[in-house]
Amino acid sequence: MDPVLHITGAGVVSAIGCGQAESLDALRRGRSGIGPVRYLETACRDFPVGEVALSNAELAARTGAPSDLCRTSLLGILALQEALAQAGFGSLEGIPLIGGTTVGGMDLTEQVFPAYSRLHDCGASTDAIAAHFGGAPWATTLSTACSSALNAVIFGANLIRSGQADIVAVGGSECLSDFHLHGFGSLMILDKEPCRPFDATRAGLNLGEGAAFLILESETSMKRRGARSLGILSGFGNACDAFHQTASSENGEGAYLAMRKALAMAGLRPGDVGYVNAHGTGTPNNDASESAALRRIFGEAVPPVSSTKALTGHTTSACGTIEAVFCLLALQEGFIPGQANWHQADPACITPYRGGEEAFQAPTGRLPLKHVLCNAFGFGGNDSSILLSHA
Amino acid sequence: MRKVYLHSRCELRPGDPEPDWRSVFSVMEARRMGRLLKRAVWTSSEALKAAGIAVPDAVVIGTDFGCIDNSEQFLRGVKGIEGAPLKPTHFMQSTHNTIASLIAIRLGCHGYNATYSHRGRSFESALQDAATQIALGDIDTALVGWFDEMTPLLAESLAAQGIDPKEHALAVVLSANPEGALDEIPSLRSE
Repeated sequence: MDPVLHITGAGVVSAIGCGQAESLDALRRGRSGIGPVRYLETACRDFPVGEVALSNAELAARTGAPSDLCRTSLLGILALQEALAQAGFGSLEGIPLIGGTTVGGMDLTEQVFPAYSRLHDCGASTDAIAAHFGGAPWATTLSTACSSALNAVIFGANLIRSGQADIVAVGGSECLSDFHLHGFGSLMILDKEPCRPFDATRAGLNLGEGAAFLILESETSMKRRGARSLGILSGFGNACDAFHQTASSENGEGAYLAMRKALAMAGLRPGDVGYVNAHGTGTPNNDASESAALRRIFGEAVPPVSSTKALTGHTTSACGTIEAVFCLLALQEGFIPGQANWHQADPACITPYRGGEEAFQAPTGRLPLKHVLCNAFGFGGNDSSILLSHA
Repeated sequence: MRKVYLHSRCELRPGDPEPDWRSVFSVMEARRMGRLLKRAVWTSSEALKAAGIAVPDAVVIGTDFGCIDNSEQFLRGVKGIEGAPLKPTHFMQSTHNTIASLIAIRLGCHGYNATYSHRGRSFESALQDAATQIALGDIDTALVGWFDEMTPLLAESLAAQGIDPKEHALAVVLSANPEGALDEIPSLRSE
């Protein structure tokens, strides 16, 4: 891709930890953050969730933000704080903010309904994040359900490619809400057990929450500032399955097109991809459809694939950038997150990578990862895929 | 960077009389769709027809507040207000991207598809996204829309915040082709 787009900062929070260091440790150990509901006020307590292990007051204390913000904003502020600091920025001065969320401030509205919180809508939750960092020159919000964060990355990348910005802050944030816990429950796609992506016995997803932001920067700007690259955004694709409002097509058309576009943009062949962080929600439908798409792209030679949602839960609108940060860690550390909770093969699914000793057989103890794909698919067939490469 | 042109524009304003929906869909289909979706699908189809484009390369939608009627109905179910039922359809149609998704399903459009929801900036962002991709040469045509509905509850909340509660139903078609264009889109600014 021209110009070369670097990631110079990353910040992440999910059920497996706050920040890149805690996340890396959990990914290496396969430590899950799934458990019973602790903070969310809900009557829907039969389903395990991937909750961030901090109350709103604790999130506010860590960032200095007011604790009466919606949790989506509080999580977003914590993640963006880490990303900006790593890139060497103290504020959003001169940096547009492209957020991604669907739940927004629904956690506040559902407490006062029938009335609306003034922070109810998606835009208000992104604006609250921007305000914490001194305000951005402008901000906007993608809301394409579970691919929101990756679509924020794609729009931000296009702003740099077209010369409308040199540096953008892009990502997604989403808290658990009683609203969408009931919603996913009503669609019968929640599992009462820990989710089992790509396993024959998979029976649904576990909802999670979290946030992750990336600082995306042109190479010229990065060199001028003397900043360090964590990885390169070498390609991306957004396509629509155009099949059903909530289900994915059998042949995974949207997912296939999104991955194919990302590879074409990067000028890479399928064989160049060393790891795929799958959308892999653990629902019977998603994992079979995504597997069909992966087989169409990679044929017999499917590279290591895993879904980290078995550890974090499905962090919905935020999952794209949370998992992109995991991919950056994999590229930098030379490791592949193994698939947790997988025991039994399903002919309709790819066999995921389960980690283990082979990761440490390379002389350096590191896998020579060069390019990784990260998928995020949303309701409405909003399918996106990004390709991240070693800097 | 290529130039970007406006090829058609179709809008239903709040006071406008109801159009003849049958120009776009059957009476049965119309019955299944709520007010927001009906207006969105109708204006989009008319704008595409006027531009002479069957399937655009991209569908990019802005919605300031999303599908709030379905959100409120599902919330009533969650909270058990006046015995309201919990219907999965209300949840499915509560997400902001339901509009762009339904348009893509009807058109069989597998191209770029995105939805912006950022109060007064939603439509501007959708236009900027589509125009940027046309300027870059990634796509040649795009359907861009701005769709909002109002409920008494949301209108009250917005009015209390000093925001004018407004419905939107506007669809435009953008293209890289200057032939037959209504206007040129001003060049993209860098802030």
